[in-house]
Amino acid sequence: MLLSVLQTGAVSSASGSAYAEFGNTKVIVSVFGPRESKKAMVYSDVGRLNCNVSYTNFASPTLGQGTDHKEYSSMLHKALEGVIMMETFPKTTVDVFALVLESGGSDLSVLISCASLALADAGIMMYDLITAVSVSCIGKSLMIDPVTEEEGCEDGSFMMTCMPSRYEITQLTITGEWTTPNINEAMQLCLDASSKLGEIMRDCLKQSASASDE
Amino acid sequence: MGIPDAAQDLSTEMEVDAFRRIFPLRFFERHLSESLRPDGRQLGKARDTIVNLGLVSTADGSALAKIGSTTMLAAIRMEVMTPSTDSPDEGCIGCYLVVLFSIPAEAAPVISKRLSDTILSSGMIDLKELCLVSGKAAWMGYLDIYCLDADGALFDAALLAAVAAFSNLQIPIVALNDNGRIVAVTGEKDQDNALITEKEAVNKEKRKLTLKNIPFSLTCILHKNYILADPTTEEESIMDTLVTVVLDSSDQMVSFYKSGGAALAYSSAIKSCVELARKRAKELKQILGEMDID
Repeated sequence: MLLSVLQTGAVSSASGSAYAEFGNTKVIVSVFGPRESKKAMVYSDVGRLNCNVSYTNFASPTLGQGTDHKEYSSMLHKALEGVIMMETFPKTTVDVFALVLESGGSDLSVLISCASLALADAGIMMYDLITAVSVSCIGKSLMIDPVTEEEGCEDGSFMMTCMPSRYEITQLTITGEWTTPNINEAMQLCLDASSKLGEIMRDCLKQSASASDE
Repeated sequence: MGIPDAAQDLSTEMEVDAFRRIFPLRFFERHLSESLRPDGRQLGKARDTIVNLGLVSTADGSALAKIGSTTMLAAIRMEVMTPSTDSPDEGCIGCYLVVLFSIPAEAAPVISKRLSDTILSSGMIDLKELCLVSGKAAWMGYLDIYCLDADGALFDAALLAAVAAFSNLQIPIVALNDNGRIVAVTGEKDQDNALITEKEAVNKEKRKLTLKNIPFSLTCILHKNYILADPTTEEESIMDTLVTVVLDSSDQMVSFYKSGGAALAYSSAIKSCVELARKRAKELKQILGEMDID
């Protein structure tokens, strides 16, 4: 899919935000915090992360919402908790709210990349930016960043979230039928794509930082 | 030493930002006495307003309205349903505001309800236009408004987005098929051509709704004897008396809303608010007019 738009600072009332368009998938993520949370009754000397992913009613061309998107909130949480330095904001909570404006395939990977950009824009301390890439396999061929139709007829899906500079993986999700050589190839594809995407995200952050300095 | 004295002493030494956080009311009153607001606006002036139409391709009508930083995205989807027996010739509209992020959750249903009341009572939409087959099928419009950024004056932005979305709305083409059910016609020519001539096409082409009496709103804050138009979140949180006036295109009042608060609205204040709303309605009419909306 073509990355068309990646910008930060879309939501002025949030601590940090990012908007991304990958092909037809349009996602906006806002980050609030670190701030006090009414839900946290217990003292904790590490911070808490709260993620929420929602879809607009017009996100998919078919009427109504898809049913398997409730798990995206917890998957986003798992992808992010490995990379955020929670010790830097004890007793407080960071809230990540993601809204999918239009769903064109590879939604979760776009969400994760956009969320890490928004967290960086908010100044939350992290070990590295994280980028997520997904690959579908149909028969013997592998497709990176599948669109909705390709996802519909895939035999297996592979989504990897990694820290490009540290070459470490925070989350790996594999479903369906895969042969070992395919998995190795998919992993290599994802690592390459991640480092490229990581550079693009860094450029975007540098641009917005220098724009705000002027 | 009482607190007001402390403020006087500290104010000369403190930085502006700190003063704004710790003594917000004094910070604002200092500005108000010069008839200005912290962002440089005059008291009766609203923020820059932008409206964009047709952003969402999967919805039948959509619009994005931005008042200052407050951003609202409205989208309408039309579905066919059977009309109720008391009004077999009318369709209906369902409004739903989704407010995400930083706003207290109680505010959203209030704005939703006020919005749907305003749209229905202004007579902007003639529900009879939504009828397909009398007594059997009519359109139901689902209006969804998403708040992408909340910086005060949510109702104004939501109403503007809703009105713009309705003006952008194109009712899809449908036909009545043999089973007596309404089916969407996608417009593909080859195989369906024959079928279309058999079906009784209910709409010949995508049509737009005629909008009369478009409502325009302005929210103001009353504080002592000042009236501030189009408040930001900071202003709303400090001064709690909000008044919203909704006028239609012929300058008649559609709705007036004052939600309690510390300041009382005397009739002079109400008249000033209506006057400000009238000016704002002219501005908004011009903005919508530039996008070819009647």
